[in-house]
Amino acid sequence: MVRLKVHGVLADPNTDTQIVVLREDQGSEILPIWVGSTEGQAIRLAIEGVVPPRPTSHDLLKGISEYLGIDVSQVVVTDISNNTYYASIYVKTNGSEHTIDARPSDAIALALRVSCPIYATDDVMKHRAGEKLDEWLETLDPENFGKYEA
Amino acid sequence: MIAQMKIRGVMFDPYNNSYIVLLRCEETQDMLPIWVGKPEASAISFALEGLSVPRPMTHDLMKILVDSVNAKVLSVNITDLKSNTYYAKVHIAYGDSFFSIDARPSDAIAFAIRAEAPIFASEDVMQKHDAEEVDRWLENLKPEDFGKYEV
Repeated sequence: MVRLKVHGVLADPNTDTQIVVLREDQGSEILPIWVGSTEGQAIRLAIEGVVPPRPTSHDLLKGISEYLGIDVSQVVVTDISNNTYYASIYVKTNGSEHTIDARPSDAIALALRVSCPIYATDDVMKHRAGEKLDEWLETLDPENFGKYEA
Repeated sequence: MIAQMKIRGVMFDPYNNSYIVLLRCEETQDMLPIWVGKPEASAISFALEGLSVPRPMTHDLMKILVDSVNAKVLSVNITDLKSNTYYAKVHIAYGDSFFSIDARPSDAIAFAIRAEAPIFASEDVMQKHDAEEVDRWLENLKPEDFGKYEV
């Protein structure tokens, strides 16, 4: 498994899609994950440390886990299948640990709010959509960078 | 006094380019419209229609967390309306204790449907919202706008 940090969220001004760019904590490998604009926004708010006037869905998710004494220990991007990424949220309750299947966008948005580490399996790093990212980045206007970088 | 509300539908509001979750008081038939964003409207519509989604949505995770410790969502309450913002609380019972979490009504409603919990509105909220405005708005609606949950 590889530990990752959220490097930034890139918004595609032409579509409803955003890319969460994860980067190896001890390295330079990048894992891009395509997410919806709402999910991208949820992640961007967390990296920028913006506290919105009303709790977002993921703030509520965090609140619920805190009240229930559920400790979120880590999230792992576990698999890619048919262009869909899968993630697991590791939770500890009353001493027992189990995992919850989630979309990576939810897992990452939650991880940033509870300050737990984010990992990807070696398998995901091997099969990640690197080429697709290069292709996409080439279509971007240079001035879009920085503007959307979080 | 609180009123139990049923979800009448989710509709697109072309005037505000936004979505409306329309709640109706079971007893008085009074309507309470709550304006929500598109993702929140989707989250509510999916649950209302009982659509199964290929991947768990954010509100499904809330339900999974609550179920994982055998906690129970007792109800969600629309508690207040201030400066055009609605406030809600989610009431959860866990073991011998119970607690309330501050939430946006859209999240609270999306969560309530999944947890099969009742939705209430405080009398204060029912009185504060501009009933006339709702009536005017409803009159402008075409019948085919109702019953349509798609977003």
